[in-house]
Amino acid sequence: MQHNLTPKYIIIGIMLSWTVYALYPTWQFQNMSEEKKEELRSSGDLEQIESKIIRQGLDLRGGMYIVLEADIPTLVGNLADLKDERLASVIKKANEAAEESNTDFLTQFRQSAELDGIKLSRYYFELGSTLDQILISLEEEAEDAINRVLEILQNRVDQFGVSEPTIQKQGKHRIVVELAGIQDSKRARDLLQSTALLEFYLVKNPSITNEIITLLDNGLKKDSTFAANTEDMGNTETEGTVNNEATNVSELFSNESDTLETVDQLFPDAPFSSLLTALPGDLAVEKKNLYALKNLLNSEKVQSILDKSGGQFLLSNSADDLATGTTEEFHRLYFIEKSPELTGGIVEEAKADLGSLGGGSAGQPVVSLTMNSEGSRTWSRVTGSNIGERIAIVLDNKVHMAPSIREKIPGGRTQIEGFSDINEAKDLAIILRAGALPAPVNIIEERIVGPSLGADSISQGTRAVIIGLLCVIVFMVIYYKMAGTIADFALIWNILLVLAILASLQATLTLPGIAGLILTVGMSIDANVIIFERIREELRKGKTPKAAIDSGYDRAITTIIDANVTTLIASLVLYQFGTGPIKGFATVLFWGILISMFTAVFITRTIFSTYISRRSLSTLSI
Amino acid sequence: MRIVKDTNIDFMSKSSLALASSAILLILGLISMVVNGGPKLSIDFKGGTLVAVNFTEPVDINNIRSAMGNISIDGQDFDFSKEEIKHFGDNSNVAIRIPSLDNEPTEFSSHIIEHLASIYPALVPESESEFILTTEKVGPKVGSELSSDAFFAILSALGLILIYISIRFEFKFAIGAIAALTHDVLITLGVFSLLDYEISLAVIAAFLTIVGYSLNDTIVIFDRVRENMKSLKGSDFTSVINKSVNESLSRTIVTSVTTFAVVLILFLFGGEVIHNFSFAMIIGVFVGTYSSIFIASPTVIKIAEKD
Repeated sequence: MQHNLTPKYIIIGIMLSWTVYALYPTWQFQNMSEEKKEELRSSGDLEQIESKIIRQGLDLRGGMYIVLEADIPTLVGNLADLKDERLASVIKKANEAAEESNTDFLTQFRQSAELDGIKLSRYYFELGSTLDQILISLEEEAEDAINRVLEILQNRVDQFGVSEPTIQKQGKHRIVVELAGIQDSKRARDLLQSTALLEFYLVKNPSITNEIITLLDNGLKKDSTFAANTEDMGNTETEGTVNNEATNVSELFSNESDTLETVDQLFPDAPFSSLLTALPGDLAVEKKNLYALKNLLNSEKVQSILDKSGGQFLLSNSADDLATGTTEEFHRLYFIEKSPELTGGIVEEAKADLGSLGGGSAGQPVVSLTMNSEGSRTWSRVTGSNIGERIAIVLDNKVHMAPSIREKIPGGRTQIEGFSDINEAKDLAIILRAGALPAPVNIIEERIVGPSLGADSISQGTRAVIIGLLCVIVFMVIYYKMAGTIADFALIWNILLVLAILASLQATLTLPGIAGLILTVGMSIDANVIIFERIREELRKGKTPKAAIDSGYDRAITTIIDANVTTLIASLVLYQFGTGPIKGFATVLFWGILISMFTAVFITRTIFSTYISRRSLSTLSI
Repeated sequence: MRIVKDTNIDFMSKSSLALASSAILLILGLISMVVNGGPKLSIDFKGGTLVAVNFTEPVDINNIRSAMGNISIDGQDFDFSKEEIKHFGDNSNVAIRIPSLDNEPTEFSSHIIEHLASIYPALVPESESEFILTTEKVGPKVGSELSSDAFFAILSALGLILIYISIRFEFKFAIGAIAALTHDVLITLGVFSLLDYEISLAVIAAFLTIVGYSLNDTIVIFDRVRENMKSLKGSDFTSVINKSVNESLSRTIVTSVTTFAVVLILFLFGGEVIHNFSFAMIIGVFVGTYSSIFIASPTVIKIAEKD
């Protein structure tokens, strides 16, 4: 024996034990029964194990992946001290330019502002006096906004009880949310996205609402295109019926009526009200009429009438089947004041609970709301002077609820009632709490992998990889005999070591990651093939086994290093520049190659040396 | 056991034939891409919506297609019959892909799922989580960012590899390696376009794998060339390359065959999700091996001749 092999075996032994140690939690977790997991979860020990296992990506396990982006243009618009059309057009232009060229909005905003020659200090005097100051402040505000969204989301997702939610900031203005195994994707989506501005608006009383509807009907009727449009949309059975212009729309609010009547039967040529449905105490719009109604509301004609009226129409956030006996779902429609009475930030606490005994709402779900002193003062004034009126709780321009004001609320402590279940109350409470954000958040990417597809891809993918691996292993043994067996040992260890590193890095294994693993297997096998072919060549030249092994390894090593280092460079670059899936691929590839160099060169060689030193061989099984 | 005995094949004399067939395939692929208006990108890059559902029994795509022709969402009418509607894996699964719409309704994918369910109400599994296989929605902005990210990443990786090979070998070898890589990716792109396969994120991962594999293969041969250039000083460069290719042929074949077997098994048994990925790999392994011998090496010879 030329070299002392003991230190090498010590190194190998240490690494082998580390591999086992690092992979044990994953193995333990995989083989754990659901009951056991539940038990550990309640005792809080599961988290500790989970932090040590290889996490499977959503593409493998099923779940929801969402990328949220703060709407910076809207934020910039909202932050202006002075808002006019010129600023709005600069913001719009900057936004278009940013989308077209994939650049930062604020950079484009600066350019657009300079190009247009508007003085930003006029619009943002509170943020600073120079362009640089203003832009730095805006950038800070934007960052702050997304950080608040991040915090609120983290807070919220915990409340939803999803196991292992991942909420991460990506870049400056984005948040990536991963919810594994989520069942109700719509509820999750709604709650993630509704991080916008919370506002309280007074709802205009029914007679004013009636007036505006009549006004809109009359105004629109003169506009033939809309009339034609809505006739197409409306019921054909009432076509041709002539009606009086000055119809009284108050029937819409007939509180006594508990049957539903579609208004188009009452007012066939009333373009606006024909889209509406009367509900007890509320206006509603059928889902099928929603698009037509939105188009109408966005039309210039309606806008100009509404501008003069000092009010606006807003829809409820969700559609319900409000009436028994119909399958159609409705959105409620509210006519509210143009400007809010209260905005975001004033809510200190909002809690969903069951009403205390003795009160009018005993046992019913309620939301208790506490406001800060500033909010309380305004709230007290607003409620005091509007008893009997309704106040709409508006988030993201959608009305979540419009409870009536029963009495003056002086201290800011408010109780909201009228929920159908505790979940509804909880959702409203979360929304009230989170309402302090100045920028809306948009979903720009969403992927849901159903649990069955995830399970399928795991089982099929794993099976295929294992079959492939077995083929390679068998082939190596047949083709290279003893040497092949050594290479197989190194290969298996290579894979385990990569997985162990992934587990300790808490990396996520995704499909592209598995692709990286396959490439690693290929490269690892290739390293061995290069060495073995070289050894065979040397043997053919008549060298002794020992000399053949030595020169075979020495010559192969430069080849292996050059080939692997180039791929290593590629994986590093991909890691640096790539996003999501490419990054996952690069991580696995990087570690895989490093380890395969180690296993191929160090481990197999050590085993070979032992093999040779123990017997004085005249032939080599290769 | 040995599959390949000592060979002495004049590979380089056949390089013009190989070059011609590569050129034909490349041109075919390019024509197909031009005809189709660029490679067929998945919604990962274009933006759009993908919905895949699982019925309990096989369903008829044509039926679904015509049923998707007239759909009303919140009162707005759509015609999705021209969109891509396909089986997803087996015949009871259906996938529909719709590019980003300007007037996209909210909860778009939920609406599509509802409509799909209403076509064969009796074949919808009871639990929603069993019915919905996957839904994806990618905004157009994200898609275009992803494309430029992927493009930039691949380009910078190629640049650095060029530098490394120039340092370790010679500049002409670097050019040869890059030529082979570009060839491989273009051929794979072309074949994807010809066979109407879609380029998704997973396929990009496959491209990266191909680049890695092909590079490895090329370097192994170049390394032998570098070694033989020292030991066979004075010999004709072409014969040095031929000798090197022959000497490493046994290794090339063993490695390619094993890798090919692995990706073939992945393709056959790996399931729908990695189908396109493993298909790209099958082409890539083949093309990667071929290009090391017939693209990378002749390129180096051509450059050497000019010097």
